[in-house]
Amino acid sequence: MTDTLDSGECLISDAELRERLRSSSVAILGCGGLGSNIAAMLLRSGVRTLTLVDCDVVEPGNLNRQLFFCDQIGRDKVDALAETLVRIDSGARLTLVNDRITAETLGAMVRGCDAIVEAVDGAETKALIMEVCCRELPDVPLVCASGLAGYDSANTIETVSLARNVWVAGDFESDVRGGLPLLASRVMVAAAHEAHAVIRVLLGLDPLGLDTPGPGPTGQDTY
Amino acid sequence: MKVDVALFASLSEYHSVDGDTRTRTYDLAEGTTIADLISVLGLPDQPRIVFVDSRHAEESAPLHEGQRLAIFPPVAGG
Repeated sequence: MTDTLDSGECLISDAELRERLRSSSVAILGCGGLGSNIAAMLLRSGVRTLTLVDCDVVEPGNLNRQLFFCDQIGRDKVDALAETLVRIDSGARLTLVNDRITAETLGAMVRGCDAIVEAVDGAETKALIMEVCCRELPDVPLVCASGLAGYDSANTIETVSLARNVWVAGDFESDVRGGLPLLASRVMVAAAHEAHAVIRVLLGLDPLGLDTPGPGPTGQDTY
Repeated sequence: MKVDVALFASLSEYHSVDGDTRTRTYDLAEGTTIADLISVLGLPDQPRIVFVDSRHAEESAPLHEGQRLAIFPPVAGG
């Protein structure tokens, strides 16, 4: 089978930058509306080693915003997503973890990765991921999402630096528990913010576009 | 001691002193912990993550002069 994204067709023409992405590995925690689309965006951008973590199965209600298809309903999300990703890039190196994210399991799930993406839906799990990753893996960049539900303008979604090596994308307010819907368009805006922040981190660039090279304190907007 | 406190998103309405909407400076007694300040501000019991000077901190930790405290409440959806 042709190695689809390894033939010079990658959008990044600079060989050194392309190799940085190619040699990087990213853990994606959650393969729903955020994670499934982030995985595809990272893969299309040249990040070919992904760890996909999710313990759910594909349901009909997922199809309005998640990268799954009717004929995948009932299948484990990590398996279904992997099937789609290798159709994009047959050279993708995927590690599939079909397990629940807990304080005890998280460390092993993300060990050895160059960046971690939080892409889960529950606020409690988001806080857990931030806490465990910041405590146990403070040097590994972590990109999170918070606030992407509802009909508000896509322009209200932004990426901010929350701490050293921690960035959050979203409007930080729109809570799905408030009855707001999850629209594909707005979820994918947040997903694109997360994916692009990861790409910039892996390339040694500040996700916010500030001048400080590489991951680390960014000064402005960093707490 | 003076400590800068950033309350993100819905938490910003719990600031008890004037200033911009996210970050305000508090004059606290020596030995005040993060948990003490959270109690004084009356922050709701909801998932949150706490950073001091850009690093994760436990809520039991004492605050010190000149530190920057940030409290972020993630909201559901993904």
